[in-house]
Amino acid sequence: MGKFKKGGGKDIPGVNTSALPDIIFMLLFFFMVATTMKEVEMQVDVKKPVADQALALEDKDNVDFVYIGYPIDASQGTEPRIQLDDMLAPDYTFVSDWKQMKAREGKTPFDIVTSLKVHKDVGMRIVSNVKEELREIDAIKINYSADQRD
Amino acid sequence: MARREVGEINAGSMADIAFLLLIFFLVTTTMEVDAGIGRTLPLKREQQNNEPIDIRERDILEILANSNDELLVEGKPTDISELEEIVRDYYTANANGSETDPTMPTYDLRTIPICQQKIGEIQGLVDADPDNPDLNRELEKWKTKLALCQEIPTGSYYEISKMAIIQLKNQANTSYGLYIQVQNILKKVVNELRQKKCEEFGWDDYFELDQESVDGQEKIKMLRVLVPERIVEAKIER
Repeated sequence: MGKFKKGGGKDIPGVNTSALPDIIFMLLFFFMVATTMKEVEMQVDVKKPVADQALALEDKDNVDFVYIGYPIDASQGTEPRIQLDDMLAPDYTFVSDWKQMKAREGKTPFDIVTSLKVHKDVGMRIVSNVKEELREIDAIKINYSADQRD
Repeated sequence: MARREVGEINAGSMADIAFLLLIFFLVTTTMEVDAGIGRTLPLKREQQNNEPIDIRERDILEILANSNDELLVEGKPTDISELEEIVRDYYTANANGSETDPTMPTYDLRTIPICQQKIGEIQGLVDADPDNPDLNRELEKWKTKLALCQEIPTGSYYEISKMAIIQLKNQANTSYGLYIQVQNILKKVVNELRQKKCEEFGWDDYFELDQESVDGQEKIKMLRVLVPERIVEAKIER
């Protein structure tokens, strides 16, 4: 017959934490893989159009983003505006300077795709102006950002 | 003093908890995929070089989207749902070299001798002016055409008139949404026709072609010759 130890419950066994690192690492890896960095603080509201032929944008390091939409800050008016990085551009003529400023080592504006993220209700005039501005500096590779489905 | 042996807590279920968490995040996280329609604008330089060449009405497909978001294709009011069929017809009506539809672009026969002759001519011009980018590009194009002729068992193919362009016209208040819808339809038809060509030649699917390999790039070039995507956009007055 077994002996029953009395009063053995006085010592609280330590929690085995040997698996904790595994879990933390797993979570860490998961977030590392899944997280997409927020590129910029959005100043304009962009509801992208839908296009079923849209293809995923590759090599995002060599892409510049131009946002065109309605200002979120009501004091900026209700007309569509262009956002370059974190700033609202006063008008479209700033696009080419900005694009040239963003030039990367050993790359010309020609090599770097410009992704236009434009609100679907915005009129074509502003888009056309931006494209003309980009053509001036040979930044002719354009990607019209669109959702693959709604 | 001897330390008392402490019983260990069974940590076997820790893995289950971790998996639960993992699955939870997998399900709830939505990753924003950046997708879009890629286009290359015409170079500024090219336009100056283009001397007014006689442009035939039949070669041009004019798509006008006006400020009220109404479509006019070749001057006729058209619903967006009809556009796909019109564009497909534009590409395929005379694709076998016939004159099935005299309002649509012609297709010209390309054979190995024609390509070789052209290459010879252009090579002569390139030798005289080796740094001319337009001539060099033209030469490359004809070499691709020759390769294409050799790829096809009959040694020849029909190529859409080189002046065949799709002209997109927008007005100041045309919505970007409509513009993208039109672009999407153009892309769709071109992708579909290129895919058809791939099947015809027994190649991999159009989207599966390896863009890194020389062979894949060559095939993509050939498909661009067979189903070109020449879109000209009229500028909106500033």
